[in-house]
Amino acid sequence: MGLLDALTGRHQVKGPAPDRLFAITTAYITLQSEHQIAPAGTAAIVFQALATSEFEATIKDMEEVVRATGGESATQVATQDDSYGYRWMVLRNPAGAPSVEDLAVGINAVSSSIETAGHGERLLCSVFAFVDAQQQPIYFIYNYKRGFWYPFVPAAGDQQRSTERELQLKAQLSGELPMEPELERWFPLWGIPI
Amino acid sequence: MAATSPKRHTAFGRDTGLQARMLLTMFLLVVLYIVLIGALFAVGASGVTILVVALGLLAVQLFTSDKIAMGTMGVKEVSPAEEPELHGIIERLCVQADLPKPRVCVMEHPMPNAFAMGRSQKSATVCATRSILELLSPAELEGVLAHELTHVINRDVMVMTLASFFAMVASLIVQFGFLFGGGFGGGYGRNREAEEAIFVAIAVAAVVYAISFMLLRALSRYREFAADRGSAVLTGRPSALASALLKISGTMERIPGRDLRTVEGMSAFFIVPARAKNSLMNLFADHPPLEQRLAALERLESQLQGTA
Repeated sequence: MGLLDALTGRHQVKGPAPDRLFAITTAYITLQSEHQIAPAGTAAIVFQALATSEFEATIKDMEEVVRATGGESATQVATQDDSYGYRWMVLRNPAGAPSVEDLAVGINAVSSSIETAGHGERLLCSVFAFVDAQQQPIYFIYNYKRGFWYPFVPAAGDQQRSTERELQLKAQLSGELPMEPELERWFPLWGIPI
Repeated sequence: MAATSPKRHTAFGRDTGLQARMLLTMFLLVVLYIVLIGALFAVGASGVTILVVALGLLAVQLFTSDKIAMGTMGVKEVSPAEEPELHGIIERLCVQADLPKPRVCVMEHPMPNAFAMGRSQKSATVCATRSILELLSPAELEGVLAHELTHVINRDVMVMTLASFFAMVASLIVQFGFLFGGGFGGGYGRNREAEEAIFVAIAVAAVVYAISFMLLRALSRYREFAADRGSAVLTGRPSALASALLKISGTMERIPGRDLRTVEGMSAFFIVPARAKNSLMNLFADHPPLEQRLAALERLESQLQGTA
């Protein structure tokens, strides 16, 4: 932000950073083969839904497109609003055919169409769900504003996270996934519906 | 992959009028301050002494005011475990605004209000009173917190502190100028000349103080409009903030104005000023009247709905 912007209090919400979403489609192979962390077959994109008819129409079209393109893999789409007023569009692969590529393509289709409609700054993040050998959920969160990924591992108890596990994952995937370097931006997402 | 197009069209238009008024106000302040500096140098040594003292005060203000305010106002930092919803809203807004997360505080106070402190984005603190957390719905609270975070993004504490620096110098001269008149006179012969110069400097300072006071208030009002606008752009929900302002102001008018002195100094960064609203003329108010803020938010909602 320039000096003039600071002086006049002019502030534009940042649009998405250069897209590094597809890094997950190679990183998951390492996760699976070396660390026994398997994709759960679900991913979600989180954004602020504008209460305008134009935006709602964009979302509806999007659901149709994802359903249509998911013909072979039969990706299911469901949307829900969380208590913070953000909308989750959840993409689910049928059991037995978890494909991270298909999910990433679907998520990317949704985010591109929101950007094309001129609402790229409404995107919050995408979440890809995994499970480890003990069937504990592990999430990888992609921050659109920063173009970085970070792991999120909820732990037992109310709003607890396993920071140790997250830092291990960071080390294990360094070089494969562009990781958020600032740890204070590893924001948790409680109550992930996938 | 969809790269952002260089010309990104957004749901909200620009508000060049507001920016022009803000720049004009700052320009007038600078002109005024140049006059003041001129007068100070005309006085000579005592004028320069005052400048040095004021610079010291400025540093103290920038580096300690938030801590002093927090200490005296009963503001308590809260952890994510204590206030999960508050932290959740702020974290999401920080992701949206690409902002480092500020410290999150809660103040036990019967008045529903919120404010931001700190001279930079890294040292920012966002504080909400207990009663605003109870009063507002999550969407409304999000609007209010986005308003405060926009103050942080726009560096409003820094801008207002720097803008008011010479006004502070002027008020120092008005208050203590007569002391210098006695102390720096020197011999008998030059005494009268020096006294006259100091008298002129005090007169100039008084005028500068009076005009800059009004300009600073105007600047503060413009920055409130900018923060309202920033909140609407950040959340995409201008009407949620409008609803919050209505709720807050409704309660603020019902609650009697006792305990005001403790919050007086922080008023510039409250979302709604902590004083009775009828007692001040528009010209001197540091927040714009509610009706104007609601009208501005309504315009933003129309732009969003494509009906403007």
